[in-house]
Amino acid sequence: MEDTHVAALLVRRCIAGDSAAWEELVERHHRRVYNICYRFAGSASDAEDLTQEVFIKIYRTLASYDVERGAFTTWLTTITRNLLVDHFRKTKQERRTDSLDAIPAEEADATPLSERIPDHAPGPEAKARSRETGEAVHEALQRLSPELRETVILRDLQDMDYRDIATVLKVPEGTVKSRINRGRAELARLLQRTYKQVI
Amino acid sequence: MQCLEFDALLSQAIDGSLSGEKLGSFEAHGRECRACGELLQEAEAGRSWLKSLGEIAPPPSLVTNILLRTSGVPRRARGNGLSSWLERLQEGAVAIVSPLAAAARQPRFAMSFGMAFFTLSATLSLVGVRLRDLRHLDLRPSAIRRSYYETSGRVVKYYENIRFVYEIESRVRQLKQATTPAEQQLDKQENHKGRENKSDRSGQPKQQEQRNYSQEGDQPVFAFLPDDPPVVPGATYRRLV
Ligand SMILES: [Zn+2]
Repeated sequence: MEDTHVAALLVRRCIAGDSAAWEELVERHHRRVYNICYRFAGSASDAEDLTQEVFIKIYRTLASYDVERGAFTTWLTTITRNLLVDHFRKTKQERRTDSLDAIPAEEADATPLSERIPDHAPGPEAKARSRETGEAVHEALQRLSPELRETVILRDLQDMDYRDIATVLKVPEGTVKSRINRGRAELARLLQRTYKQVI
Repeated sequence: MQCLEFDALLSQAIDGSLSGEKLGSFEAHGRECRACGELLQEAEAGRSWLKSLGEIAPPPSLVTNILLRTSGVPRRARGNGLSSWLERLQEGAVAIVSPLAAAARQPRFAMSFGMAFFTLSATLSLVGVRLRDLRHLDLRPSAIRRSYYETSGRVVKYYENIRFVYEIESRVRQLKQATTPAEQQLDKQENHKGRENKSDRSGQPKQQEQRNYSQEGDQPVFAFLPDDPPVVPGATYRRLV
């Protein structure tokens, strides 16, 4: 997916003090880092702060990136994840237990959850519903344990393969797979429970 | 197949990367074992929910802030932010100015454009604005609005003043016309016009001169303009708008 050679060249130029190269690197990767932070930490302001911290860290430690040991995005994701762990430890998360009932009642019918997700030709109403659905999923994600949350974010939102996720999380691939299964299932249970509460 | 093996293959099965005999026995266990069947359904549903989440756009200031806190080198001109705003403004100015400049190059317009510019700068200097002061101008929208109203206020006042002078002059002339013989009156008119053109340095006489060319007869212009504003200040006022 990533052009390793181009990334390595860009990193080398950054280390040599090329500010344009650094800007290009930030432009290329900030969306990814921001999205991981947003989905893990939950809020846009935390995501913004954390993304800045990630790039400050990268700027200071760029010389330690070894092309031979893996793709740049894997290294970047590892730094992001480590900062998220620190952030999680520092901030005592206040778990919200009451806010998932924002989902409209008409969606809470008996059809399978996966079929209810709007996937084409959204009108204004469907768009609003899709936004509310997105908010509900995002909130449910915040209620997963950090281990399950980070794994499903990397797999289903960042499309990373099992091996790279295992590298980032420093756990065996089997553990990654098991966490993905449990994370997905737990999320579905949380959302289904919410729908049942609404009914 | 055991439940443990089913769990190990679950994510690959959902990815669609399971096939053949393995897939067959996986599906068979899913049907036979209630717990594993439920897990499969839930995991599939959870994946669909997650896949429904789109990418979130970071705030536009994020890259700028990162660069300020790292290299300290500001962001180059891009498709968004202040720099592109300036770029767009520049493009807009060029789009407006170049057709005007093209028109101004045509001989029949060159004169009027030259006159208009002369008039504008003359009026500005009359109301106390010097072109070299323009670079000290405060360009905040509120400041621009304030100085616009101040300037246009002064233009209006100036315009009222010269209108007053002209009216007095024309009344005096009317009085003289009524009291002096015809021949003498003609001479006086000629003298008066000559003097007027020489003494006025504001640039308006030129405009009035031009206007005079299209005027019928040789009556003094201003006597007939009590309600029709003299061209110059009025035109300048409109230009400022
Ligand atoms: Zn089983």
